[in-house]
Amino acid sequence: MDTLAKLNEVFRDVFEDEDLTVGRETTAKTVAGWDSVMHITLMMSIERAFKLRFNSGEVANLKNVGALADLIDRKKA
Amino acid sequence: MSRVQALFSFVTENHPRSLKGLEESRAVAPELFDEVAEKFLGWAAKVHGETGYLPRCVDAFAIFSHDVLMSQARYEADGHYENDSFAKCEEAVYGRREVMDDYLWGVFLTNFMWAHHMDITRFYKDRFISKLPSAPKVVELAPGHGGWGVWMLSERPDATLHGYDVSPSSIVIASSVAEAAGVSGRVQYTRRNALDLESMPAGEADAVICSFLIEHLEEPWRLVAVISRLLKPGGRAFLTGALTAAQVDHIYEFRKESELVLLCEQHDLRVLETISVAPQRLLPKARFLPRSMGLLLQRRKSDMW
Repeated sequence: MDTLAKLNEVFRDVFEDEDLTVGRETTAKTVAGWDSVMHITLMMSIERAFKLRFNSGEVANLKNVGALADLIDRKKA
Repeated sequence: MSRVQALFSFVTENHPRSLKGLEESRAVAPELFDEVAEKFLGWAAKVHGETGYLPRCVDAFAIFSHDVLMSQARYEADGHYENDSFAKCEEAVYGRREVMDDYLWGVFLTNFMWAHHMDITRFYKDRFISKLPSAPKVVELAPGHGGWGVWMLSERPDATLHGYDVSPSSIVIASSVAEAAGVSGRVQYTRRNALDLESMPAGEADAVICSFLIEHLEEPWRLVAVISRLLKPGGRAFLTGALTAAQVDHIYEFRKESELVLLCEQHDLRVLETISVAPQRLLPKARFLPRSMGLLLQRRKSDMW
């Protein structure tokens, strides 16, 4: 499973929405409920799913899901 | 467009995850929010320029707020703060100029962009600034970005301030904020550890400001002793601290409000008023309630006073 597909599973689980589909251009503006607190829940879930740990500042200003997927790929490389 | 409108517009466009918190914050006290935001953002605009102040400060705020929430999530998982010594915090934050600059400009906006801190801000204005005596000599311990003390000076043209901070970044940033506010002639910042003021002459300050330093210390009682020593008998202090609220450089884990109250009472300080506030939104299934506490203190004149 590629990173984006796996991310999609995490998003569906965190936002409790089986119909949610995220793509590289998805942002917080287009996902209902994606606020600063939900973002932390999301990041912690991603850490568990991908078995990695984000450093301070890495994920605070990510612009979209594509940037998040690229970051995960870099950390897993 | 007002600075408040510009702030909302910038956050909506660039930091949509922070918009809900910003709306919550303004809803706490719209008039005070607008007053403080216009003031603080106006100073930031003078420091960073009209085109640069929002990206500089709001980006830093977003990073800072995110890191705080991330620390809280790790605290929930681990049951203790990440770092337990000043040396570790110095390595992670204080000793890194670029990190410290972002940190301070991020914190600068929390005075009005964190909803629960709006209550602390209102407490500071209504219960501390407005009650200062005539021509007060005020000491600020760890001014950081300088906003608290500079705001007091801007409200009280008869006041003077001496700030002490261990961080070179703080001295630079606080001085720049004071210059922007037009109060630099009434403030002096000195690079010095607040705890080293234990040897300062006693009882010379009419008032002391010490905002969100105490939880960063290994021995917080030493700070309370300094506050008590600096104040004239009857002098007042505004002290704030964090309880079960993690941050990469929070060391001392206060769990109950009474711990701070007791520390003050043990050092000849009357606790006149307190306020304890928590964020409106918490992490799911949180077992810790992160709080910020404000205390209005008065130096006792004697054991029985």
